[in-house]
Amino acid sequence: MTPRADEPVIVSADLVAGHDGSTELLVRLRHPNGAEGPVVLDEETGLRLMKNCGAAGLGELVGQSWRRIVEGS
Amino acid sequence: MFDVIVRNGLVVDGSGAQAFKGDVAVKDGRIAAVGAVQGEARQEIDAGGRVVAPGFIDPHTHFDVQLLWDGAARPALEHGVTCIVPGNCSLSLAPLRAGDRRQVVGMFQQIEEMPPEAFTTAFDWSWEDFAGYRAAIEKALSINVAPLVGHSVIRLWVMGPASQQRAATADEIAAMQDLLRECLAAGAVGLSTSFVDTDENGRPVPSRFAQFEELDALCAVLGEFDRMLQCVPEFFATDITIARIDQLAELSLKHGITTTFSPVFDNAATPDNVPRIMARVEEQFARGAKVWPQMQTRPLDLSFSFLRPSLYFARLPRWSRILRQDLDVKLHALRDPETVAKMVADAGPDGGDKMLGRLICRGGDAAPAAMVGRTLRDIAAERGQSCAQALIDLSLENGLDVAFLDASLGHENSERIGPMLAHPLVHIGASDGGAHLASFSTYGDTGYLFSEFVRKTGAMSLEQAVAKITGETADIWGLKDRGRLKPGLAADIVVFDPDTIDREAELPAFDMPGDGMRYVRAARGVETVLVNGQIAYADGAYTAARAGVVCV
Repeated sequence: MTPRADEPVIVSADLVAGHDGSTELLVRLRHPNGAEGPVVLDEETGLRLMKNCGAAGLGELVGQSWRRIVEGS
Repeated sequence: MFDVIVRNGLVVDGSGAQAFKGDVAVKDGRIAAVGAVQGEARQEIDAGGRVVAPGFIDPHTHFDVQLLWDGAARPALEHGVTCIVPGNCSLSLAPLRAGDRRQVVGMFQQIEEMPPEAFTTAFDWSWEDFAGYRAAIEKALSINVAPLVGHSVIRLWVMGPASQQRAATADEIAAMQDLLRECLAAGAVGLSTSFVDTDENGRPVPSRFAQFEELDALCAVLGEFDRMLQCVPEFFATDITIARIDQLAELSLKHGITTTFSPVFDNAATPDNVPRIMARVEEQFARGAKVWPQMQTRPLDLSFSFLRPSLYFARLPRWSRILRQDLDVKLHALRDPETVAKMVADAGPDGGDKMLGRLICRGGDAAPAAMVGRTLRDIAAERGQSCAQALIDLSLENGLDVAFLDASLGHENSERIGPMLAHPLVHIGASDGGAHLASFSTYGDTGYLFSEFVRKTGAMSLEQAVAKITGETADIWGLKDRGRLKPGLAADIVVFDPDTIDREAELPAFDMPGDGMRYVRAARGVETVLVNGQIAYADGAYTAARAGVVCV
């Protein structure tokens, strides 16, 4: 899925510690107005995002549309 | 004649005032005198070289179920905790109709990870209303309990299945207000709500379907009783958390109530999270609102096994690709020498020593007992293997059901956390005691406060640290009878060694109903704990005292 120019895009992804002892996924979104902000996804959502993107590594998430995060939720 | 005199201790009275050498006398469950106490007592405790402090208060727990068979909320009491607040995150065990029990049990199991037997064999479920739950736990309390009532169960009582489907009508909101009044009158210390939690099917808990008008109406009732609102905001996004802080502030100002929210974490990946949250909290306190962020002392640990999908290996694409396959495919790949050789190579030229060597083999699963508590580096050396190879082989040899712990991966930078905890507007809590049983230990945060932030980093003085988890906590929660060593107040007292108080290593314990497993940490340096004037824990053992009460 190629992101549209008018929608937020994932610009980085990293692993962080979740409060329930799981590994969570921190993705940083760049919005169309240039603003950037982090969102932490719980393990289930993070795994789903990787599956939705066909990604095996974090680098493959960069450039993906924010809509991938909510697909199948 | 006093009942008890604790003599010759370093008295840290919970107010933040400087410690002094003295005695504390107890009579009829209350503190009778503090200072140089003359006279005799039926029992004297020599506290020479020890601190004598008010019992600690843990404001965020999920001991709701455990209290029905364990009135000491073990091991909380042995850590010096004399008062706990259960019922957080919108969930309590009352009010709850018999027909709705299964639904709420699912929500509790999601948070607490408690075995099903805990709900079916460990107690006689005899109540529906809040007064009934109070009566059920009051029978044998060794610890004091200030219970919250959960927004989700109030909603479920009034709306039934629609509580997880839609907004409430005006009549339903009025009914919720009446029910909340009944709970507060029966001893609830406040209301808890959540914007985050889910049930066992991944559905949002009922409180998440509430519109602001509903929460506003319930807070009006809290205002009538001068009680507390606890909230779990969308802590995964700083901007949303700040928006919730503003909402809580409006509710606080409008209804004259105190609010608290948690969790609040500091992580290297989001270094501006806490500073931004605290900046907003400071602004709202300056307006007169009471919006207390609750921050835990302990760092965040991660755990995983090859048995279940995990993001842990998302930095290693080959590992990630293999480990997310179905079990059969995964096992086939892990048994293929060529594939494993590539995986080991991916882990680095050192065979994964730097990346994986620090992992600790956990117990409570299929891990051989001889491996539990040891680092992967140690295990690999013993086996003459690289760390990556040992991780794969050890998992294979035990049906993949071996859990590993990667400790202190978040909220772990004590040089940053210490000053945050010491901030006058930060409420130390959020232990989650009694929750996440099968994932990690939620006990001993108070000991860690002293070992890490008083002794090791010096971020707080002894007096500050004690005040944070006693007097200040009692003030925030309106527990007027607790939190200080002052004549007339309830005699909740802990005697501890300031040089050794700490939490012990995390270990699996099989002490839940049905031999269910949980991770626990024993206490170190806590010698004697009195609850309402009676010795509830001493010399490493719990006593038969049952002096705990439901306190508001």
